[in-house]
Amino acid sequence: MQAALVLVSCFTDIETGPGAVVSTQPNGDRFKIEGRAIVPGVKTQDWVSTARVLVEGEEYVGFLRTDGSFAVNDIPSGSYVLEVVTPTYRFEPVRVDITSKGKMRARLVNYIKTSEVIRQPYPLQIRASGPHSYFMKRETWGWTDFLMNPMVMMMVLPLLIIVLLPKVVNTNDPEMRKAARLHLISLNPIPYQLCFH
Amino acid sequence: MNTAKQRQCFALLDLLVATLPFYETNRESDNFRLPPPVKQVKAAAMAKLILLLLKLCILFFVVHAVFEDQVGKFDWRQQYVGKVRFSHFDTQMQSSKKVLVATESNVFAALNTRTGELLWRHADKTGPEGNIDALLHHAQDAVLVVGNGRMLRSWDVNIGGMNWEILLDSGSFRSTCLVGQQGTVKHVAVLKKTVISVHYLSNGHQKWIENLPESEIVDYQTVYSGGNGQVFVLGIVPHSHITIVVYSMEDGEIIKQVSVEAPWLSNIPVSCVVVDQGMLICVDSTTMSINTLNLHQQLQMTQIPLQSLGLEVDPDFHPSLVSHQPNPAQKPLSEFFLQLGPERFLLLQLNNGQIVTLRDFKPALLASFATTGEKTVAAVMSPKNKTACSINLFSADTGRRLLDTTLIFTVDPNGGKPERLHVQAFLKKDDSVGYRVMVQTEDHAVTFIQQPGRVMWTREEALSDVVTMEMVDLPLTGTQAELEGEFGKKADGLMSMVLKRLSSQLIMLQAWIAHLWKLFYDARKPRNQVKNDISIENLSRDEFNLQKMMVMVTSSGKLFGIDSKTGGILWKRYLDNVPSNAAFKLMVQRTTAHFPHPPQCTLLIKDKDTGLATLHVFNPIFGRRSQVTPPALPQPILQSLMLPFMDQDYAKVLLLVDDQYKVSAFPSTKNVLQQLQETASSIFFFLVDSSQGRLSGYRLRTDLSTEQGRVMGDRSVLYK
Repeated sequence: MQAALVLVSCFTDIETGPGAVVSTQPNGDRFKIEGRAIVPGVKTQDWVSTARVLVEGEEYVGFLRTDGSFAVNDIPSGSYVLEVVTPTYRFEPVRVDITSKGKMRARLVNYIKTSEVIRQPYPLQIRASGPHSYFMKRETWGWTDFLMNPMVMMMVLPLLIIVLLPKVVNTNDPEMRKAARLHLISLNPIPYQLCFH
Repeated sequence: MNTAKQRQCFALLDLLVATLPFYETNRESDNFRLPPPVKQVKAAAMAKLILLLLKLCILFFVVHAVFEDQVGKFDWRQQYVGKVRFSHFDTQMQSSKKVLVATESNVFAALNTRTGELLWRHADKTGPEGNIDALLHHAQDAVLVVGNGRMLRSWDVNIGGMNWEILLDSGSFRSTCLVGQQGTVKHVAVLKKTVISVHYLSNGHQKWIENLPESEIVDYQTVYSGGNGQVFVLGIVPHSHITIVVYSMEDGEIIKQVSVEAPWLSNIPVSCVVVDQGMLICVDSTTMSINTLNLHQQLQMTQIPLQSLGLEVDPDFHPSLVSHQPNPAQKPLSEFFLQLGPERFLLLQLNNGQIVTLRDFKPALLASFATTGEKTVAAVMSPKNKTACSINLFSADTGRRLLDTTLIFTVDPNGGKPERLHVQAFLKKDDSVGYRVMVQTEDHAVTFIQQPGRVMWTREEALSDVVTMEMVDLPLTGTQAELEGEFGKKADGLMSMVLKRLSSQLIMLQAWIAHLWKLFYDARKPRNQVKNDISIENLSRDEFNLQKMMVMVTSSGKLFGIDSKTGGILWKRYLDNVPSNAAFKLMVQRTTAHFPHPPQCTLLIKDKDTGLATLHVFNPIFGRRSQVTPPALPQPILQSLMLPFMDQDYAKVLLLVDDQYKVSAFPSTKNVLQQLQETASSIFFFLVDSSQGRLSGYRLRTDLSTEQGRVMGDRSVLYK
C-alpha cells in the first residue's frame, strides 16, 4: 500500500477532467468516494433496499440512493477496495486511491500485483456482472453423453482405425509387409531357441 | 450421487486397472524368479486398493452439492434487527402497513405490520460510529442522525433506498427537530454542542449554520419549532438559569436571546416539554412544583405547586412529562402526561396559563399519545391482574374513556415487563378510533396486538445477539430406550439375554403396530383436523438423531429453545437480575441418554465488572428450572472447568475456582468428592491475567484448594 501511495504522489500528469473530484471538507483530510451502480435490466428500486457499499471491509459503510448512485463519506486518504454488496447481484470490486490532496484514482483490483494500474472511470461506474450463483446446476441429459463415454470412445476410435488404416496404407507392398513383420517381432521378442527362421 | 461424469471417471479408472497387470508382467517377468501369475495377483490387489481410495475421494468431494430445488426443504432462516430504540408508524396512507424501527444494533428497518416480517433493513457499521441518535419521520422520508452527529441521512421508506446523506460538522449531537412553516415541513434543524444548522429536507443541503452564543458556559440541550418560522434553542447553565435563543428560519439571524432564572433545573430533555403555543413546562421534584414559561414572551417562570392541584410526587421517584406534536408544522397539543410515580400517570391540560387535571390514572404502567386525522387519543396501559394488562383509549382533550377500546395484553411470565408502548391509531368506518398497539418489553421482544387482544405477531429481538448455544439431543423414544437398555446392563447369562431380546422385540412390534394404526386413523380423518404442529410434549429423537434442540443464550439474559428442523421457538425464559455487562458460559451436564434422570444444562453468568457469578440450572428440553439447587457463589469466580467424571446420576462435575484459589464442585455429593480426591493430582488450572501479562498454573489438592506450580531452571514445573 505504501508503494501504491508513492506511485500516486509521483503521478504527475494532471487529471483535471470531470473524473477527478476534489472534496473540500471542513477537517481538511476526509474525502468522499462517489459512484453509481447499475444492474442492467432491473429497476433500481427493486434491488437498492438490500444493497450496501463497503470500503475496505466494513471499515466505512455507505448506502445506495434510490437512483443507484452512492457516496461514501468521511474517508481519509489512502488506498481502499470498494465493493457494492447485494445478496442477489454480483458486482466487481474496484480499488480507489485518494491522495492527501484529495485526488481520486480508480483502478482494477489486483492483489498480486498491487501497483498495477488499469484505470477505471471516476466517479465510479459499477455494473453488475450477473446474479450470484449459489447453487450447482442439476445434471441434465444430453446427446453428447453417449459419445463422451470412454467405453464408447474405446470402441469407436479403434473401429475407425481398423477400417480406415488399411485403406490409407498399401498392404500389398512386400517392403511394407517386411517392415510390419519386423516391427511385430521387436515388440514381442521370442527367445533364440524358439525362433524358427 | 452417481452423476454421468462420475460414471465416466469410474470407467476411466476401470480402464487403468485393466491395463495395469500388463505393465507389471512386461517389466518384471524377466527379472524376478517368482512365477508371473502370483505377481500379477499381488499387483492387481494393490491396484484395486488404490482404485477404491480414488473412488472414495471422488465421492467425498461431490457430496457437498446443493441444488436450487432443495432450498427451503432442510433449512430455515430468521432475520432480526435488535432492541428497538425509536419507532414510527407509517401513516402516509390509510392502508399503509409499515412501521419504521431504529435499533440499538445500528440497524434501520421497516417491518410489515400485518405479519411482522422484515421489508428491508440497513445495518450500519457496528460500534459508536454507526449509532443511531435520532429518527424523524415525515411523509415518505425518514431522517436519521448517525454516529453522535457525524452524519445526517434521509431514507425513502417506500423503496428502502437513501435520498441523501450529508456529513455534518464536528461536535457532539444534542437534539434535532423538523422545522415547519405555514403548514408544510421543508427543513430539519440539528443542534450540536456549539452550532446549530438547518438543512433542506429535499436534498440535505445546508440552509444556514450558526455558532451558538456562549457555548462554553451554556449547555444547549433542545431545539424546538412550533411551525411559525422560528427555531427555539434552549440551553441551561446548571442550577443557574435557562438561556433561550430564537433564530429566524429564513437566514439564521438571532431574533432574541434571553436568560431566565431557574436554579432548580439541571437537565431540560429529562424534566421539560413544550406544549401548546410555545409554553415550556418543567416539573421539579425538589420544590414539588410545575414551572411554566412562555417561550414567546420569556418573562419569568411561573411556579404552580403540585399541592394546589391536589397532587404529590412519590418519594424517590423522578417525575417526567410526555407531550405530543402530531404535525411539526403546527403547535403541539395543550394536553400532556405527568408521571408522578412508577404506576401513576396524570393527564393535564394547560389552559390560559392554568393547569387543569383532566384524568388521574392510577394504577398505570405506560401512557402514550396517538393521532389519526384530526383526532388525538391517549392510550394508557394499566395492570389488570398478575398476568395481564389492559390498554384503554381516552380522548386527549377531555380525558373521557372511549367506549369499546379495551385491549387485553397478556404478560408472558417467561418474558420481561412491558417497557414502551407505541400506538397506531386509525379511523374506522363509523368515524370512531380504532387502534393497534406495539408493546416493547424488557427482554427486547416486540409484540403487535390488535383489538381486543389478539396477538398479530411477536418478534424476539433478543435473538439478534446470541452469545452462546448448545445443540442438545432430544429424548429417546420408548423403543430406542429399550434398545439402549440392552447395552447398558452387565451380561447376566445366556437365557436372560435371550429373554431380554425377545421382550424388547415384542415391545417394538407393539409400538410399530400402534404407529401404523395411528397413521391409518389419521388418514381417515379429514385433513384439517389432523394436527401436525410440533409441540414440546411429544418431542423425541428421530431415526438418525438429526433433529436437536438448540439452546441459545442471548446477551439480554433470555434463553431460547429452538427446534433445529423448523426453527420454531419451543420455549423461552427471561432471567432476571442479569447484569448488563455479563459473560455467559453454557455447559451440558447431563444429556438425554440417561433416563430416568432429566437432562441438565448449567449456565454460568458472570458479571465482568465485579467477577461475581450465578449459576442457573435448567432442563434444556422444557426450559424449566431444575430441581437441583446450585451452590451459592459469594466470591468472584476466576475460572470454571467441566470434568468428564460423572456423578452417580450421570451428571458431569463442574469445578469453579474463586479468587481465593479455592475450588468448589457442583454437584458436590460424596461420590464426586471421593472421585476428585482420587484424581486431584492430575487436574490442573491455568489462569491468565491479561492486564498484567501473567500466566500461572495450579494443581488441585485433595482438600479442594489449589497450589501454584513453580517454574524450575530446566523449564519444568514443580508442584509440591
